[in-house]
Amino acid sequence: MTEPLLAARDLHKQYPDGQVRALNGVSLAVAAGEFVAVTGPSGCGKSTLLNLLGALDRPDRGEVIFRGESLTRHADLDRFRSRQIGFVFQSFFLLPTLTARENVQVPMFGGTLGAAERARKADDLLGLVGMTKRAGHRSSQLSVGERQRVALARALANDPALLLADEPTGNLDSDNAAHVLDLLTTLQRDRGLSLVMVTHSADLAGRADRVVRMRDGKVVANGTLAPLPT
Amino acid sequence: MYFVTFLAKNLLRRPTRTLLTVLGLAVAVAAVVAMMAVGNNIESAVERAFEGRRVDLIVQQAGRSGGVNSDFGELFVHQARALPGVAAVAEGVVNFVDVTRAGGSSDQLMIQGWQADNFGYDDFTVTAGRKLVAGDRRKLMLGSTLAGNLRRGLGDTVVLGRDDPDDPSNRYEVVGVFDSPVIFEQGAAIVPIEDARALTGMRVTGFSVRVRYSTGEDHDAAVEDVRRAIEGHRDPNDPTARVAAQRPQMYMNNLTHLKLLRAVSWLVSALGLVVGVIGMLNTMIMSVVERTQEIGILRAVGWPPTRVVGMVLGESVLLGLAAAVVGTIGAVGATYALTQFPQVNGFIEPGVSPGVAARGFGLTVLIGLLGGLYPAVRAARLLPTEAIRHD
Repeated sequence: MTEPLLAARDLHKQYPDGQVRALNGVSLAVAAGEFVAVTGPSGCGKSTLLNLLGALDRPDRGEVIFRGESLTRHADLDRFRSRQIGFVFQSFFLLPTLTARENVQVPMFGGTLGAAERARKADDLLGLVGMTKRAGHRSSQLSVGERQRVALARALANDPALLLADEPTGNLDSDNAAHVLDLLTTLQRDRGLSLVMVTHSADLAGRADRVVRMRDGKVVANGTLAPLPT
Repeated sequence: MYFVTFLAKNLLRRPTRTLLTVLGLAVAVAAVVAMMAVGNNIESAVERAFEGRRVDLIVQQAGRSGGVNSDFGELFVHQARALPGVAAVAEGVVNFVDVTRAGGSSDQLMIQGWQADNFGYDDFTVTAGRKLVAGDRRKLMLGSTLAGNLRRGLGDTVVLGRDDPDDPSNRYEVVGVFDSPVIFEQGAAIVPIEDARALTGMRVTGFSVRVRYSTGEDHDAAVEDVRRAIEGHRDPNDPTARVAAQRPQMYMNNLTHLKLLRAVSWLVSALGLVVGVIGMLNTMIMSVVERTQEIGILRAVGWPPTRVVGMVLGESVLLGLAAAVVGTIGAVGATYALTQFPQVNGFIEPGVSPGVAARGFGLTVLIGLLGGLYPAVRAARLLPTEAIRHD
């Protein structure tokens, strides 16, 4: 078997208030180019798992391994996130003072591209998500669907290997949700990205190569959707 | 998009708060810059006067060389003039006396009692009338600024001291109006030295010395020789009297008024710094708290803490620079406004030199850095996951 792009081994996470054990020995592997959906009831630890996979937080125990290297011992997780991970959030989190084009450039600061190259790349990415004509608009001037498409373009800004999406369609109506999901899966497939998506929706999870079901901080099922117990 | 564009857009998100912060800082900066400019302009004026007249030494009573209360006998002037290395000596009695203004109010003005051959006349431009000549008594020349302030011109009478209708001895006829490159002389009256002595009760308050200059000679050494000789002179009629001869730069450094002005300038600068830092701190803390979630996003997309620090400090420095521009313009306006007041327009030159403006900019950058530091560190220490959840 080829080495997975990302592997989580026996992840434990308890928040400082001590009341909630968010993750309790979660292990998971994601292959390059694979689309994995993580489902489960609210509070089961899906978002915590996503945060650990994306190096936004550190586990209390266990480790996340990316391309064979443990993130626990990684010296510069900011640089790792910037280069390897693209985040898509339920609430988009676009910066309100910036236009769509400028929002897409935000992750590129500190990279090797100059201002003109950043703008050009942002335009290319906005073209990929069908937002070329809205590139000069601020987020308040965009519909929620358009905002999520800009957020998707932003997630691709530094050509990551892994996309982490936390309920990316949670704030969208069904038409927009379908459109964004189509975009997400098309981009994932075309660009050979790995995608881990947290979702409550069985329909969305059905589009994934594999579904991981969680409950009470543990993985209770891991496989294709059809054979998973409900 | 440049990083600085990103910073500017962040600041413009709350235009009213940004504007008020800039204005608040600008007032502090304007006060500091105006204060520094006034002091700097005075120093420059004195320096120009000495350079323009090629003065090598200023001689005043020892121990009283920092002000206008120096007083010694004229023998010291004669002894200095007789030194072989001395090219010229210009003695004077400089002090402040009461003057009655046109409306009847009284004020103080600077009088300079000069001999008719004082080399200070050399760079005067007489705009009306004539210079004082030997034998003149109860005559005076008015600097053009003072003439304007007093609304007096050629042939008019100026009352120096108490205005007593029964005593004509303090009434002076204006025989000339002049322009001088020295701001203090523009706002002063030149009177015969004998009249100045009568008005002030002083004999000589000081004299300037030009040392003879020979090609190939070490001029500094020659000046030093003259300085030592002058300080070695004694007056048999006043055996305890001593004089101190100083190079112009040393003289300016020791001037009590300038020292006071510098001290006040530093005090105002320090206050401006404290007020500015507090204002900046308040603004930037509010800004960081409001943008906690956004900062979490920036961290999530890979911004390292150092870049977050750079963002907050960059914004505070930008605010400071905007305040510096507004404040410096305000300071220029303030110095011009100040020179509209007759009480000071003979002593203060308007304008802000590039050096003073640069110090003002430096101060505001410092305010930006100090005021932004704590909010920047606080922003950088936010955990991305907690910041994103912040509501």
